[in-house]
Amino acid sequence: MHTDARTLEDGHVLEADLCIAGAGAAGISIAREWIGKARTVLLLEGGGFDYEPAMQELYRGENVGLPYFPLQAARLHYFGGTTGHWAGFCSTYDDIDFQPRSWVPHSGWPIARAALDPYYARAQRVLELGPYEYDAAWWRRRDPSLVPFSYDARRLWSKIWQFSPPTRFGTRYRAEIVGARNVHLLTHANVCEVETNESASAVTGLRIRTLEGKQLRARARHYVLACSTIQNARLLLASNRRAASGLGNAHDLVGRYFMEHLEMPSGTLVLTGTRPASTTMYGFEWGKTKARAEIAASAAAQRERRMLNATVSLIPATPGESAKSTFESFTPAVLEARRRAEREGRSLAGSPPENGAQGQRVFELHTRQEQAPNPASRVTLARERDALGMRRARLDWRLTPLDRHSFRSFYDVLGRELGQIGVGRVRMNDWVASGGESWPSSLGGGWHHMGTTRMHTDPRQGVVDPSCRVHGVGNLSIAGASVFPTAGSANPTLTLVALSLRLSDRLESTLR
Amino acid sequence: MTIDRRRFLATAAVSAAVALRSMPHRLAIPRDPDALADLELVASLGPDEVREIGRAYRAIVPAEDDRAALERALRRERRAVRPTNEDPVRADFAAGRVIAVRGWLLSRTEARRCALFSLPSA
Repeated sequence: MHTDARTLEDGHVLEADLCIAGAGAAGISIAREWIGKARTVLLLEGGGFDYEPAMQELYRGENVGLPYFPLQAARLHYFGGTTGHWAGFCSTYDDIDFQPRSWVPHSGWPIARAALDPYYARAQRVLELGPYEYDAAWWRRRDPSLVPFSYDARRLWSKIWQFSPPTRFGTRYRAEIVGARNVHLLTHANVCEVETNESASAVTGLRIRTLEGKQLRARARHYVLACSTIQNARLLLASNRRAASGLGNAHDLVGRYFMEHLEMPSGTLVLTGTRPASTTMYGFEWGKTKARAEIAASAAAQRERRMLNATVSLIPATPGESAKSTFESFTPAVLEARRRAEREGRSLAGSPPENGAQGQRVFELHTRQEQAPNPASRVTLARERDALGMRRARLDWRLTPLDRHSFRSFYDVLGRELGQIGVGRVRMNDWVASGGESWPSSLGGGWHHMGTTRMHTDPRQGVVDPSCRVHGVGNLSIAGASVFPTAGSANPTLTLVALSLRLSDRLESTLR
Repeated sequence: MTIDRRRFLATAAVSAAVALRSMPHRLAIPRDPDALADLELVASLGPDEVREIGRAYRAIVPAEDDRAALERALRRERRAVRPTNEDPVRADFAAGRVIAVRGWLLSRTEARRCALFSLPSA
C-alpha cells in the first residue's frame, strides 16, 4: 500500500504495529520480512520514488573536519536510499573485526561474527548475490582459472567479494512493498522528531513534516530508525524536547565514532618473472564478474604489526594516467550523470576501469582500509535549519595516527610477501612511503558511513544494545551501519542488511 | 633455478648486452651471476628506473657507494645461502631483509644489484 504524505490532511495520524523510518537498504529489508504477516507496518520515506532536488537539499550539511564529499551528494533521499547509486560490492566482515584488539581503542562488537552467518545467507538473496560462499578455494573449484596467489596465510589472504547487479532497492522492491496489504509505505514523509514520554524511556510517536508544511504523526508499538548513519544521529540529536542532549544520548555518544573506509590509490604492483602469476582471480568486469578477490591483511599480520584491517584491489595501470581517489573519480556531477544514464537505460561512459586484462603486468594498488573508531570523529547539529525547520547535520571527520601508520605497515607486509612468493614488486606511493602524520590530497572514502549509534552492552559505551535497541528506550531500535562498532575492510551493505534481518527476527518476538 | 629462467636470463643478458653497448652512457656490463640476475628487474622495471633505484640505494647506504663494497656484500649473501642453494632474493624477503628505495620494497640483494647496475663501467 502506498500513500504520498502530501495528499493527507494536516494533522493526520497513522498507526501500525511497527513503524520504520527510512526506506533504504535497511528499512526495506526489514519491511519485506513482514509482508503477509499478522502485523501492520508503516514504512516512512522522506523522498519520493525518484531523485528530487528539493528533497536532496534536505541532506545538505556542513563538513568541518577533513575534506569530505558534500553530504547531500554522498546519500540519496528517495525510496531505495543510497542503493540508488551504490556499486554492488559485497563481502562479509572478518572474525577479527568483531574482536577486541588491544591496539585499536574502542574495538570489539558485543556479538560474534558467527552470529551473523544465517543472516548473511539470507542477505545474499536480498542483494541478488550468488551462493553464500566467500572462500577463495570454493570459487577456484568452481572455476579453475581463479588461482589465488600462494601467500603465507600468516601474512596475507585472498578475500572474496561478490557483486550485486547492483540491486536498486527502490526499483527492485517497489512493487512488492506497494502491493503488500499490511505494509503501508508513505513517501514525502520526513521524520523530524522522535517524541517520547516525559522520562524519555519510550517513544510515543514520530513527528512527520512535508515540504508543503503539513504535519502528521505516526504511532506504533515499536519504532525503527533506518535513515542512514548521518541521519539516524541527526534525528536522535534533534529529538531533544525531553532529553536536552538528544534521545538515547545520556552518555554523549550519539553521532560519535563516525567512520569511513579509506579508499585510496596507494601503490603499484609490477609482476615479475618469465611466467607472471595469474591475476584472473583479482580481476573485475562490470556486469560479468561473479566473484573476485582482493589481497587482504591476515589477522596474524594485523596483530603482529598492530595495524588496522585492509585490502588492496589490482587495477590495470593505464600508461600516462595517475590513479585517482574515489572522491576525485566520482564527483557529484559524475554520480548524477551516471544516475541519469541508468534511468534512461544508456551505457555508462567513464565506468570504473575493468581489470584482469591478459598480459597486464603493471597494476595500481587501491587500498580499502578500516578507519579506527574515534570518538572525536562525529556528527553534530549545525545551527542552520533546513526547509523543514530541522537543524542540519555537521560532520567533523577525523582520523588518527593509527589510520595513517597502518597504510605503511600494510604495504610493508604486502611488499615482503609478494616479493617472497615471486609474484612481483610493490612500489608505495610517496605519501605511504614517507610515513608522517599528514594525509595526501588523494584522501578519499568509499561513502561507507558507519558508527554514529554504535552497539555495546554498556550504555556508557554504546547507543544501542546487542539487539540494536536504543539503551534506555524500550520501544526504539536502530537499523543500518550506524550501529557498527568497527568498520572492517569490507563494503558495509551486506553486513547492514544481515543485521537488519536479525533485528527484524527479534522484533517478531517483541511484537508477538 | 628453472630451465626457463636460465634461458630467459641468458637471452635477456645477450639482448641487454647488445642494447647496453649501443647506449650513450657508460654502464656496467654484467659479468657475474648477481649482476646477470638483476636483468630480470631491468626487464620488469626498466633500466632507467633500476639505475635510479641504484643511485638512491647508494645515497641511503653510503658505506656501499662503490663497486668493491657492493660486490663484497653480495658475495657474503651468496655464501650465506649456499648451503641451502636458496635464491638470495627470496631468502632476503623471507628473513625480512627488505629495504624501501624510491618507494619500491626490494630485497636487500636486489637493491645492491641495482646499485651495481647504476655504477659506471669499471
